[in-house]
Amino acid sequence: MLRQDINELLTRTGPGTPMGELFRQYWMPACLAEELPEDGAPPIRLKLLSERLVAFRDSYGRYGLIDEFCAHRGASMWFGRNEEGGLRCPYHGWKYDTTGQCIEVPSEADNSSFAENVRLTSYPLVKIGDVLWTYMGDPAKQPPLPEFEFALTPAEHHYTSKRWQQSNWLQAFEGGIDSSHVTFLHSGGLKSDPLFKGAKGNQYNLNDKKPFFEVADSDGGLFVGARRNAEEGSYYWRITPWVMPSFTMVPPRGDHPIHGHFWIPIDDENCWAYSFDYHPMRPLTEAERQAMIDGHGVHSKNIPGTYRPEANMDNDYLMNREKQRTGEWYSGVEGIAIQDSSLQESMGPIVDRTKERLVPADSGIIKARQKLYRAAVGLRDKGVTPPGVDPAHHHVRSAAVVLPQKEAFLDAARDDVTVRPGMPISSV
Amino acid sequence: MAVETQTLSSCARAATAEEARYRIDRPIAPSRAGRVVALDPGAAEVLRRTAQQEWANARFYICEPAGSGAQDVVLRGIDGGPATLADELASASVVVMVATSDAGADCAYTLGKACWERGIQTAGLVVGDGTQAGTAASAAVAALRPHARVLLPSADEADVVDLLSALRV
Repeated sequence: MLRQDINELLTRTGPGTPMGELFRQYWMPACLAEELPEDGAPPIRLKLLSERLVAFRDSYGRYGLIDEFCAHRGASMWFGRNEEGGLRCPYHGWKYDTTGQCIEVPSEADNSSFAENVRLTSYPLVKIGDVLWTYMGDPAKQPPLPEFEFALTPAEHHYTSKRWQQSNWLQAFEGGIDSSHVTFLHSGGLKSDPLFKGAKGNQYNLNDKKPFFEVADSDGGLFVGARRNAEEGSYYWRITPWVMPSFTMVPPRGDHPIHGHFWIPIDDENCWAYSFDYHPMRPLTEAERQAMIDGHGVHSKNIPGTYRPEANMDNDYLMNREKQRTGEWYSGVEGIAIQDSSLQESMGPIVDRTKERLVPADSGIIKARQKLYRAAVGLRDKGVTPPGVDPAHHHVRSAAVVLPQKEAFLDAARDDVTVRPGMPISSV
Repeated sequence: MAVETQTLSSCARAATAEEARYRIDRPIAPSRAGRVVALDPGAAEVLRRTAQQEWANARFYICEPAGSGAQDVVLRGIDGGPATLADELASASVVVMVATSDAGADCAYTLGKACWERGIQTAGLVVGDGTQAGTAASAAVAALRPHARVLLPSADEADVVDLLSALRV
């Protein structure tokens, strides 16, 4: 359980809230690069951390993320005309560049300096990998750009998708470090999903449904290790890294691509689940990429033209009781991503954590909440820079390894959970 | 004739904040009879301070080797009062072991074995950085690893409080 005041603190991310200020210390995904596919592309509406924004790519290829509403009369700039070097409000013609600076007010005299004094709130927007990243904090404290490995590999090595989740970010994120649900909720996928099946490690998973857990601090967050019995004298370890505030990776399986998530608050009752796959050593195969597009692995099949999953709360996630009965889909819902979102959304927009009955296997979640709380309060009260801001903290990998029983998992697997350019992932 | 028991979009309706008002709001009793055991003198100091907080159903102990033979242990209350391992475990549903060094390795073995035989959940916290090889804390991790279903190898004192609070003991 969690005290109500702490639940409130961790789940509210609007401007001026402790958790909102914490998120504003980090570079985070604002949208996918594919949403602004070319110079002069139509602008898109975004809501991030409860702020309504418009992203656009101007005629020179510069990215901008600005206040959604025109400074003049408050009309939405989503209706804007993406013209030469700026976005023009179609109501009265006020035009803004990618920094939010007003560069033209047609009703003013030709030599007027009025526009120079009009500026919309704006945030930087930078393309790294498939993602456009933003930083919504104090410009004077803007950290170096993110260095997550998935975004830095060559384009043909990675794939990123996103989906709208109708719940608070925290309950979505907590699923990312909750290793104990995999054996149940996702058990069908271990046997059938084209991006999971066939790995030797899957058998360890299926043979031992009561894993032991270790939760250890890292510079940027945590490592959550789940160990199961392997061959005589050895353990199979699945190691999940979390980098604050909301980056998680899933331990790999065989030579399949490695994957993970970013959980980004839209507002307090909705979040974006960014899901990525990459292989540091080779391009994704055509079959792998197609499987990801089709919603396999950690990805979702979305309604065409949107980032809303086809299986969503409005259609009861296309529940199939027959598949549930046979165990092909343990919960009766198809796909890893929707299996998670269906249950996390069912908890309500913001789950009441005062009612929980946690067990020791939830220690990763308990520890993560504690770290988030400490970081938010430390920032609020003392201005302490939180873990995960330093790009060096981003250099982590998940791993799936078999270790002698006497080995401490972080001693033995330190290299395995660290990005080593040119070195393969550690996977069984 | 088949009866339609579900309406379309029942999930959408059930998951709203408005519907949350209708969730059963019954007081939750402490769900765990927790026994919190210090395995070495350093851990005993941690638990003396922790025990001063208000707990619903937790009891705090210090475990020491009995000296009468390997794996025999003596349990006493944090206030020095006598306790019997078998009696305390008879009513326990979770045992949380706290260590700062490997001095309590025999205690961890005995407690872990006794819990396993009784089907009692176990958790272990090593106060200190047990992820650094060669430290007392890392030795404690090695001693606890086989016996704790969940292990926090680099805990601090606040972790003990937070874990016990989250478990409602």
